[in-house]
Amino acid sequence: MTDLRRCFDDIALGEEYESPGRTVTEADIVIFAGLSGDYNVLHTDAELMKQSIFGERIAHGLLGLAIQAGLFTRATQAYATLAFVGLRWKFKGPIKIGDTIRLRAKVVAREETSKPDRGLVTVQRTILNQRDEVVQEGETDLLVERRR
Amino acid sequence: MTPRPARSYFEDVELHDVVETPALTVTEAHVQIYQGLTRAPDADPAAVPDLLPLCLTTGLGWRTSRPPLVVLAFMGLEWQLLRPLRVGDTIHSRSRIVTRRRMREGGVIVEEREVFDQRGEVVQRGRFTFLVGKRPKEVAA
Repeated sequence: MTDLRRCFDDIALGEEYESPGRTVTEADIVIFAGLSGDYNVLHTDAELMKQSIFGERIAHGLLGLAIQAGLFTRATQAYATLAFVGLRWKFKGPIKIGDTIRLRAKVVAREETSKPDRGLVTVQRTILNQRDEVVQEGETDLLVERRR
Repeated sequence: MTPRPARSYFEDVELHDVVETPALTVTEAHVQIYQGLTRAPDADPAAVPDLLPLCLTTGLGWRTSRPPLVVLAFMGLEWQLLRPLRVGDTIHSRSRIVTRRRMREGGVIVEEREVFDQRGEVVQRGRFTFLVGKRPKEVAA
């Protein structure tokens, strides 16, 4: 079987991708609260949140981060990733129930490493909502296989 | 028994406070639920998705002797992923307050967090920045 994953050598600086949209539902938030054990009122108490600056429950920040990782796999052909090594991330605005988010990603750095079989690729990622507002953004560092 | 406040406000947090969580075994069920939620499939079913330990550590932080912080907003995160985890590994985490800055609305807290496996090796670590609420006047300490 041919390996269709893209190696370090195939990935160009400045490449950009955009994912399909994904609507974040109440079920997503409930499942994430159950999975993570994070039951902060921000995500679980509809009545209290009516009086907050958000006006309603919001998604866990890390739920948005986790969903974008899945959206990345739908935005471009998979990288031959050996390891996801680092993350710098900012939560800029709330994701509310019913919001539709999508990922915009760009290769902003591409460096050889001390090991000849791998390179470091830094991808800048922006999560936008249906109004094109940036709700989260940051960079991820990935170690990607080199072609042998 | 002394009643404990159910929540920790900015005033309840001291610089260099250390909190250690109980442990949690990462199971195939965690992985399946996570993958259903995120749709980031992995070819290896026994691999733990990279961001899952980070997500689990936030809930572990609720199971400590310090009542949960009144987080008004999760502002940012820097995270390093040092070692992969496998299904069946047991993680716990330790966090330390490294910055505590008072603001008008509350305060900014930076927490340094490490996630350990059952052998005591650090598998992931980083820093969380939170905006934490200050104690309302009507709530006594």
